[in-house]
Amino acid sequence: MKRLIISILILTAFVATSFAADSGRANPRSMNFPPLRFDIPKAERVVLECGMPVYLLRDPELPIINISAMVRTGSVYEPASLSGLASLTGSVMRSGGAGGLAPERMDDELEFMASSVESGIGSDMGTVSLTSLTRNFSPTLKIFADVLLRPDFSEKRVDIARKHLIEGLRRQNDDPKEIAGREIGRAVYAGHPLGNVATPETANAITRQGMLDFHRRFFRVDNMILAVSGDFDRAAMLRELNAVFGKPAALPATVLPDIPQPAPVFAAEVIYGNKEVNQTVIRMGHLGVTKESPDLYALRILDYILGGSFTSRLTMEIRTNQGLAYNVGSHFDIGRRFTGSFIAETETKAESTAKAITLMKEIIAGMTREPVTDQELNAAREYIINSFMFGFTSPASIVTQRARLEYYGYAPDYLETYRDNISRVTKEDVLAAARRHLKPEAFKLVVVGDAAKFDKPLASFGSVHELDLKPKPETGK
Amino acid sequence: MKKVWLIALTMCLFTAQLHAAPAASVPRAGLEEKVIEHTLKNGMKLLMVERHTSPTVSAWIRFRVGSVDERSDERGIAHLLEHMLFKGTTTLGTKDYAAEKPILDRIEQTAQQLMAEKAKRETADKLRIAALEKQLAGLEADASKYVIKDEFFELYAKNGGTGYNAFTSRDGTTYLISLPSNKLELWAAIESDRMQNAVLREFYTERAVVMEERRRSYDADPESKLWETFVASAYLAHPYGQPTIGWMADIENLSRSKAEQFFHSYYTPNNSIVAIVGDINPAATIALVERYFAAIPPGKLVAPVSAEEPKQGGERRIELVAESEPTLIMGFHKPAINAPDDYVLDVISMILGNGRTSRFHKNLVVEKQLATDVGVFDAPGSRYPGLFVIYSNPRAPHSVKEVEDAVLAELDQLKNEPVAERDLQRILNKIEFEESRRMGTNGGLARNLTEYEATAGNWRYMIEYRRKVASITPADIQRVARQYFTRENRMVGFITKKGADLK
Repeated sequence: MKRLIISILILTAFVATSFAADSGRANPRSMNFPPLRFDIPKAERVVLECGMPVYLLRDPELPIINISAMVRTGSVYEPASLSGLASLTGSVMRSGGAGGLAPERMDDELEFMASSVESGIGSDMGTVSLTSLTRNFSPTLKIFADVLLRPDFSEKRVDIARKHLIEGLRRQNDDPKEIAGREIGRAVYAGHPLGNVATPETANAITRQGMLDFHRRFFRVDNMILAVSGDFDRAAMLRELNAVFGKPAALPATVLPDIPQPAPVFAAEVIYGNKEVNQTVIRMGHLGVTKESPDLYALRILDYILGGSFTSRLTMEIRTNQGLAYNVGSHFDIGRRFTGSFIAETETKAESTAKAITLMKEIIAGMTREPVTDQELNAAREYIINSFMFGFTSPASIVTQRARLEYYGYAPDYLETYRDNISRVTKEDVLAAARRHLKPEAFKLVVVGDAAKFDKPLASFGSVHELDLKPKPETGK
Repeated sequence: MKKVWLIALTMCLFTAQLHAAPAASVPRAGLEEKVIEHTLKNGMKLLMVERHTSPTVSAWIRFRVGSVDERSDERGIAHLLEHMLFKGTTTLGTKDYAAEKPILDRIEQTAQQLMAEKAKRETADKLRIAALEKQLAGLEADASKYVIKDEFFELYAKNGGTGYNAFTSRDGTTYLISLPSNKLELWAAIESDRMQNAVLREFYTERAVVMEERRRSYDADPESKLWETFVASAYLAHPYGQPTIGWMADIENLSRSKAEQFFHSYYTPNNSIVAIVGDINPAATIALVERYFAAIPPGKLVAPVSAEEPKQGGERRIELVAESEPTLIMGFHKPAINAPDDYVLDVISMILGNGRTSRFHKNLVVEKQLATDVGVFDAPGSRYPGLFVIYSNPRAPHSVKEVEDAVLAELDQLKNEPVAERDLQRILNKIEFEESRRMGTNGGLARNLTEYEATAGNWRYMIEYRRKVASITPADIQRVARQYFTRENRMVGFITKKGADLK
């Protein structure tokens, strides 16, 4: 028995007498189940000698150790003229060698051990991860620490990463879904670092020195949190971590520049990209909320009812009832540091483009007019509460979740109170949240497809700004 | 190449994660000791693994029938049926089946008349088509009064079920769900009902949804379109060439009657494999499955596909002109999953395309910088002879031709020079790691158990895999490379950018 030493309490899963009827087969509509109480597994929080917080959860089920470092950085800190710098830095930290170990040697050492160390930088977080068999942990940890703190940024690997970015930009208009996804993000976050995208010009302006400087600013032992899980001995693990991370940094503490929130501007726009295809990609939306919003839980419920499940209003009407789309949905992406977004999406044949857009806007607007039904509210609450445990199915997901909550500054009891907060949401709360946060009249609407085949001109939704999707003259090398 | 990449990753994970070895200091039970098998009298196969990491359970049902088993007038039916099996039964998804049924029958008659009229094409009676379409819409509106929409989903969701889904491939069809572990009986009740009493209501609306799925997944995405054309061109006789979703005209002519026939022929307990992995008590789980599924009568086993692909007698080149940057796909015909040479080709696949130490990455991406990525995977299935596939995105200004030549040079190298022992050891180490890793999720384990039981005939394929790979020698690799990587056996597909200098 390799039960996790965590607080999961299961009351007999099968009670042989719990079903009715002679057949012994119960009706799914009225079935009763043995009770199951789920307590959120705890991870231990330890602070290393250098001051770095570490979440630990030991589980010997598999002979594997996982580590994830979360570093306070992000592409929001790169200047617009260097869009792509953070992402390239994140990738070359791993591909460009570290601690004097050349790239080819690092690849060979790691892959021979079947270990992996990977790095990346997103919009508001940098991550470096480690996975290894327990018996190969120490040599893998050394490489992990070097990638995190001492990357060499080999000039050749910097050059390759830059060339790959430029090749990606050449290909960025091949798939209509990719175009629409990028353009809705640019439109919603126009004027904010979150709305910046790389171009061949910004890619060519990125240098090895730029990466070194960007890395040095953020990747310090006093600017990150670790999540450690798997098959380890606690004392030995702490000894090894203290050995590789050492003492507190001598330098003054990192001060992150203040990045303002996106300006709360809500103005409709219609953006069109021409592609000769038989199906139109449709995206619409605007700015959303941050996790500090008192409407957070009401919006989780709203999300499920409007566009976040197979029985949501958007899916039910546009897919199930009308057969207009395979994929349709909407989502409030709750902002963890910066204001999030609300985006609705679908793809439909060119001939039903206007019909689908009109229906979507109407269904979304419906959320602001009438309260949701009791049945909808209950279905959403029950799903969110009863499926909550699926956020905690592996030791790695448990520690990463805890570290992430600290990283983004969530209230310490956020997880413990989550289900109660969901259960307290009322129909009135959902309606009030919809009225505050859904503004269909101010949607940025992005449409990529073949306008000649649309059922109505796009201009009926507002004045149309057409994207230039033609390739630019070569600027790459 | 995101789409193909995904396929590549999935397939690679499968081929890479085969086999077992207790090398760690603490002895841990491997897959072999953990899997509990039970076969019902009606032929249904049950595989279980007990894991108490979280109070959750994953339940997967695999039917040994996929699009490869379709006749030519059924192309697309395996996948469309998969969608239809979410629509309920005679008791779920309906308010009153007795009242609903006659309307469903009239919908079917009307839809068939409509398809027959449309099939006349130029000589079709347009007025009759319009009248039939109107009649169909009216009947569908009548029928919808009786429907409880997506009741399976509602029942699972309110009980905390996640990942409720299904997928269809050439080789098979799988239905999956994860549930809190105290709710497993809900799965047994719904799935046993679905296996016997499914009602394919809302058929013609769902058929329109599948057409949108086709447009989204293939028509409007150049790389996927190239992929579909490439596979179809690789098979003249064997049904592996047909796209699982069906060609558009195939989908337009599928009927509920055809789907029902396919369902009754193949969705029988003796064609099914169930994997239940997670927080379970195996004895109680066997009793539960017996209680709900034992009474379902067995049917006929799915017959093997008799078509055989004739030997390809020369290179076949496929071009797609599209609004898209160039892409290259190369393929070589290869044997089905249990053939000894298939293991050797798996090793070659890892040497060429797995990780940063792979030859394609080191030589084509890092040194020559001809491409941004080069990958290797198996497709389109494993029950029957498939393809060893190499794909790449050339990096401008390098052309498809330059990448193609460089790929061929790497293949020649494999024929001419024995691979180093360290390369083979690295692969064995990777396989050993995957053996541990794959034990770490309920869903992943359920997926592998059902997949290998269905395609290789026995889930123990995973256990024997490392031993088989360990016996492969550098000479085997040279022999297999020489035998399969020939011009006569080669498929090449590529995208040429529209507006380029086309003559």
